[in-house]
Amino acid sequence: MADDKRKNTRNDVVLIFDTLFSVSQSSVSSSQSLFFASFYLVLLAMEALVVDAGSKLLKAGAAVPDQSPAMIIPSQMKRMVDDDGPSTVSEDVTLDPIERGFIRDWDAMEDLLRYVVYTGLGWEEGSEGNILFTDPLSTPKAIREQLVQLMFETFNVSGFYASEQAVLSLYAVGRISGCTLDIGHGKIDIAPVLEGAVQHIASKRFELGGTELTKLLAQELGKSNPSTNLSMSDVEKLKEQYANCADDEIAYEKTQNCEIEQHTLPDGQVISIGRERYSVGEALFQPSILGLEEHGIVEQLVRIISTVSSENHRQLLENTVLCGGTTSMTGFETRFQKEASLCSSAIRPTLVKPPEYMQEDVGLYSAWVGGAILAKVVFPQNQHVTKADYDETGPSVVHRKCF
Amino acid sequence: MSWQTYVDDHLMCDVEGNRLTAAAILGQDGSVWAQSANFPQLKPEEISGINKDFNEPGTLAPTGLFIGGTKYMVIQGEPNAVIRGKKGAGGVTIKKTTQAMVFGIYEEPMTPGQCNMVVERLGDYLIESGL
Repeated sequence: MADDKRKNTRNDVVLIFDTLFSVSQSSVSSSQSLFFASFYLVLLAMEALVVDAGSKLLKAGAAVPDQSPAMIIPSQMKRMVDDDGPSTVSEDVTLDPIERGFIRDWDAMEDLLRYVVYTGLGWEEGSEGNILFTDPLSTPKAIREQLVQLMFETFNVSGFYASEQAVLSLYAVGRISGCTLDIGHGKIDIAPVLEGAVQHIASKRFELGGTELTKLLAQELGKSNPSTNLSMSDVEKLKEQYANCADDEIAYEKTQNCEIEQHTLPDGQVISIGRERYSVGEALFQPSILGLEEHGIVEQLVRIISTVSSENHRQLLENTVLCGGTTSMTGFETRFQKEASLCSSAIRPTLVKPPEYMQEDVGLYSAWVGGAILAKVVFPQNQHVTKADYDETGPSVVHRKCF
Repeated sequence: MSWQTYVDDHLMCDVEGNRLTAAAILGQDGSVWAQSANFPQLKPEEISGINKDFNEPGTLAPTGLFIGGTKYMVIQGEPNAVIRGKKGAGGVTIKKTTQAMVFGIYEEPMTPGQCNMVVERLGDYLIESGL
């Protein structure tokens, strides 16, 4: 019985899910739980690596779904340039290998991955195992192919798989269908997923994310604190600490007179933060603050779902998942649900609650967790791209086997 | 080699212990060049829908892909090359060649990846041969 069910990947994901649930709940019969436990232990012996490379943070670790990733490091890199000449000035150039979710600088990415895989996660040269990568929505084929090529030719991995972040975030909360709203540093992706397949026609990607919010905050703070000098990294930290979502539009209007907090920067300067912190959150619901002629995200979500065939509407709306760093903003979820209840359509978006055994802030790396879950299913069943497949067909094999 | 041999030996072949449920090679006008025993009969409007989706990807997604009356949910394919459909645990892959279309229908326990490999590999070979 269990073996037949195991054949299908998507059923498997739900099954792995039930396994985790039942092992933690101890409500399953002893023989079944022993079988599942031993299955789980066997898989632990040959762990794959899961890498979720984002525009701001790179999450990587061995595929253990109920833990947070072993490495959460910034993707930004510094190139040290040493002058051999008379001057002893070394220039630091900061690079972002990943822009707006996509890998742009391949040399830097290779160095970053080399650090992650060998130094950080303990792989040894010569015995590389299996690796799973996450892709953002609408990743161009060329980028996927280049990544596969890099992995097989430079890193010599034995197996590779890539999956879209939207699907993985759903797996992390135990669903195979639903709508994901991924608000990351470099982009916002809204993707309806049905039974593990992203509905690309309906999905939408916005080239705005945490970066724009940081710039907005910097702008606003510059206006209210004209004498202070703020670097972008300071503003970024301020955003993470202070950014807030007002309860609704009316409450936002009232924040004109909200309390002003004083904050001391590392270099000693003191700045006052007042309404600015609410503007950051409000910008997501009223993009006109950022100067964009777009609807707020809740409205966009409802519109996107309405373009999918109507028999699936209920399923998508009732299984909405928020993920990405920006969604951890204070008050974001409450505001989202409030906006959702103001929606005119018959069925309102309902947020999915992550299961109890998942970490507290799973929204920050749900794509990674989903990747870990998927890795446990895909690699043992040999559904991934093996070195032999790559040698035979070339990089385009990734489009056939990974989806 | 006859078209039927292509279907019997190269499409309905064993892939890691699994086989396609049904397969066929059809001309782009809908004429059957060869098919396996239980391949469904395609209706003219289904053929024209498939051709239209190859030319303008996204036309079949709202309504669904129909093959012999069975409805498949359209998933990510490759514009003007591959159409992929999903139905429960099974699905279909359609690869367009220069003059024909290669169909592969699979069910559990075969995986979508395996079906793609079989259908697209034969399709690429036919394209290279000018067919």
